[in-house]
Amino acid sequence: MTARRGRNRRRLELQSLSPMQRVSVHVALLVLCMPALLPFIWMVSTSLKLDKDIYGSGKAGAAGLSLSSLIPHPMHFQNYPEALKTVPFGTYVFNSLGLCATTILAAVASSALVAYGFGRIQFKGRDFWFMVMISTMALPGQVTMIPQFTLFRWLGWYGTYLPLTIPSLAGAPFYIFLLTQFFRTIPMEMAESARLDGANEWTIFCRIVLPLAKPALATCALFQFLGAWNDFMGPLIYINDPKMDTLAYGLQQFYSSYDGKWAQLMAAATLFTLPIIVLFFFAQKTFIQGVATTGGRN
Amino acid sequence: MDERASINFGRILTGVIVLFVVAFWGAQIQEQHRHVARKKVRFWHMWTAEWKDVVDKIVDRFNKSQDEYEVEALSVPGSGSDSKFILGVMGGDPPDVMAQWNPIIPPWADDHLLTPLDDLMTPAEKKAFDDQAYPVVKKIGMYRGHLYGMSIGINMSALYYLPKQLRDAGIDPDHLPATLEGLAKIGERLDRFDSQRNLTHLGWGPATFSEFAPLFGGGLYEWQNGKMTIVTPQNLAALQYLAGIRKKLGYDNVVRYNAGLDMNSASGGWPFIDGAMSITIDGQWRVEQLRKYAPTLEYRTAPVPPAAGGPTLAGVSNGNFMIVPSGAKDPIGAWAFIKFWSGLTDPDTAAEFYTWGGWLPLTPAIAQAPIYKAYLKKYPQFQTFVDLMPSKTISVLPPVPYQEFLSDQIGKMEDSALRGTKTPEQALNGLLFAVDHEISRRKELGYDR
Amino acid sequence: MRKNLTGYLFISPWLIGFFVFTLGPFISSIWLSFTRWDIVSSPMWVGAANYRALLTNDDLFWKSLGITLKYAVLAVPLAVVIGVLLALLLNSKIRGIAVYRTILFLPSIVPAVASSVVFVWILNPQIGLINGLLKRLGVIGPAWLSDTKWAFSSLVFMSLWGVGGSMVIYLAGLKDIPVYLYEAALVDGAGPLLRMRKITLPMLTPVIFFNLVMGVIGAFQYFTQAFIMTNGGPEESTTFYALYLFNRAWRYMDMGYASAMAWILFLIVVVITALLFRTQRKWVHYGG
Repeated sequence: MTARRGRNRRRLELQSLSPMQRVSVHVALLVLCMPALLPFIWMVSTSLKLDKDIYGSGKAGAAGLSLSSLIPHPMHFQNYPEALKTVPFGTYVFNSLGLCATTILAAVASSALVAYGFGRIQFKGRDFWFMVMISTMALPGQVTMIPQFTLFRWLGWYGTYLPLTIPSLAGAPFYIFLLTQFFRTIPMEMAESARLDGANEWTIFCRIVLPLAKPALATCALFQFLGAWNDFMGPLIYINDPKMDTLAYGLQQFYSSYDGKWAQLMAAATLFTLPIIVLFFFAQKTFIQGVATTGGRN
Repeated sequence: MDERASINFGRILTGVIVLFVVAFWGAQIQEQHRHVARKKVRFWHMWTAEWKDVVDKIVDRFNKSQDEYEVEALSVPGSGSDSKFILGVMGGDPPDVMAQWNPIIPPWADDHLLTPLDDLMTPAEKKAFDDQAYPVVKKIGMYRGHLYGMSIGINMSALYYLPKQLRDAGIDPDHLPATLEGLAKIGERLDRFDSQRNLTHLGWGPATFSEFAPLFGGGLYEWQNGKMTIVTPQNLAALQYLAGIRKKLGYDNVVRYNAGLDMNSASGGWPFIDGAMSITIDGQWRVEQLRKYAPTLEYRTAPVPPAAGGPTLAGVSNGNFMIVPSGAKDPIGAWAFIKFWSGLTDPDTAAEFYTWGGWLPLTPAIAQAPIYKAYLKKYPQFQTFVDLMPSKTISVLPPVPYQEFLSDQIGKMEDSALRGTKTPEQALNGLLFAVDHEISRRKELGYDR
Repeated sequence: MRKNLTGYLFISPWLIGFFVFTLGPFISSIWLSFTRWDIVSSPMWVGAANYRALLTNDDLFWKSLGITLKYAVLAVPLAVVIGVLLALLLNSKIRGIAVYRTILFLPSIVPAVASSVVFVWILNPQIGLINGLLKRLGVIGPAWLSDTKWAFSSLVFMSLWGVGGSMVIYLAGLKDIPVYLYEAALVDGAGPLLRMRKITLPMLTPVIFFNLVMGVIGAFQYFTQAFIMTNGGPEESTTFYALYLFNRAWRYMDMGYASAMAWILFLIVVVITALLFRTQRKWVHYGG
């Protein structure tokens, strides 16, 4: 009885901060948020202007980009519907989402499997292959682009989504490395006791390790979503049919080296970013929380 | 409670994702049956934003004008267009025709990436081109005796100036100086500075070295014998002229002044409209822009005067041209489309397209076409540029295999001379050194047999 | 033995993918670095000519390598330190913490195209925000991205905006630290700072190590922002190695040369990474 009450009190003590600490944390975070918000706010602010208002009146010394013009008067919301018309937004969103969803499932599942092998099983040659895997990230992609292209062409995959999706079934070194680090922090005793009970590696993987690594898995999913959502080079090289293009590719079509519909580009970029913000905000609970009980961790 | 809610959220999200994936791939498998009644001609271009609409209109016209071919246009963003084209050729799936403006003809022709257009032309068409095309068109499109790029819109630069600002400063706008030096002098009278010597108004904003070298009788390439000519007295004079003006204004001053203006604006933000520069050099497409966004502005155009003793009607040009990759599936269809747009055999129809883009014509026949003449009547300012077309002293980028490298190096040379990090003489010598070094490097690595 | 088989079975997805999709192009690319290849015509063997030219006859090679190295040494430690500090702050249980986390992650979400353009505007010497603020304080700000002396530092400073990504990973790592460790420390009377030093940081080291290695690998391939914002200028002060490689490969059509450049970089990065892995024993603490 007393022990449990003492424990709860200690938990509370760990979680709560003094009012003084609370205020200072708020202040620190508020200060840091201002530069962090700057690109995004500028993006949204520009998206509500007309192109010629972005630089001010064109006379030298105009305060076009200063704080006073951060909130445009009047606000030109029509940039948004116009941006949606300039490129086939609906098609692009559908394609982007499809690619994201596919590669998330493939990459995260694969990477978890591989990371379990590297992180939890002592097998011969493990360290060698691990270093090989890390090394594959060290070569700039520019020079393997053409040999890879040749390979995909030989496979007959040029012009399809396959080069953009099938490779993720092999996992990705970034996620494998990350998950390996997480898996290695799980104490051996848990696995040992399960093994004594007769469980094999697969069961340990599914029942013990995976549930504990939920934060890491969700983080990988988030990064894969960002990567696929933002991928522009992949569709550029392998897709020739305008109906198959993605949002990231479409974003490039708002400007060229000579001029651009800057305001519409910013409107499109804002629309491009919003879903991720919403997703991140609501999915936070799934993978990051404060110092809280996690159940099964004690 | 938290824990269960988050587990459920995770489960639902995963379920939704799986369902979506299935739907997505299902949609891919359903092949769309398109009408294959016509032969498809794939056309890639680098135009975006407002220009893309112009292109779509022209493509539409072509498709309506005949029923053998159907052109499908794809806008490829500039940053990846070159690599995409190269990979397309390698992948065995190139477009049939592409509109380009980068300095790619020499290297791509050398690499057999392009189909020579003369292979697709009938003898009559070839003769028409040889007889009628302007000299600058041939300079841009030809390489080693073959035609690789068919021009569909040459760009030319000339002076734009605001008579009112000149009058206010006591300068007669009807009698501009006949030399560049004279122009620099009245430019100085039009410059305005504030109390801290910051620039508040620019009188004369010169253009680039490539534009000015011909005006001094210089240039980087000897067209008669095909040799690079870098360190010459004329080139030095041109660079000294530019560096001198920049020094008087203050390099940092100009950077800041220009930074406050949207120099690249293709709409109402062009600083000339607001009078931020009294005299400037710019391209012919500005005429159309001024009509749209500043119809009441009083402005005039004139050919850029030469330096004292230099050739008249000189300058530099570039343009948009059509190329046909090697391995194109339908080069004949490509050529039909190119002919249509460029107006080689039907100048009257094509003249309209040139007016849509504010482009300069391929041949005098197009300039004489009724639609084009009407356009010139509407915009008398445009005539200045058309008059520049027949000039033989208009230069283009040297047609060497290392053209992109050269283009980068010219920019760097100019930058260091203008900044004052190097004297004009040092800068030119630096360019010569870089070019020679590159040529010997290419030989050493096995290029340019 | 059984264990070996199980191990290889688990890593088989990656192993298969490696042999099918990765190994071939890698070997191709090594071979290509010994050829003259302008992408379309057949590659022609030239032996070590590319490497020789790079190491003995190319000033920009050394300059760009130096610039990239400087960037790695500056940006990576900065990112690690700031990332950890931010994550610790964002781990506090205060109201609205979800909003703060989202805001600080925001710069990583905004597409590079848009944020690069926005930064160019913010750093505009005449009418940008930074110089505007400085003017209020009576200081004339430099021309930032157009100024030879400031362009590089501007890019280093801007790299901090990407710290949101690693911050999320640290947060996930923080969540994984078992609570009983903290409780035990509390019983022993340890204050918050001591808890941080003895428990939080050591338990976080696997993730710190991850971000360190990834940071190094990424820093050596830094390209996009320099490409969009300065294109190597002014006066080559921001010509990063990957940017120079890109120009040689795609604009000057010298793929053989670029491949040689890539493999030199590969060797450098692998050596540095291997050294980092060696140091693991000294400071990275795994729970298992």
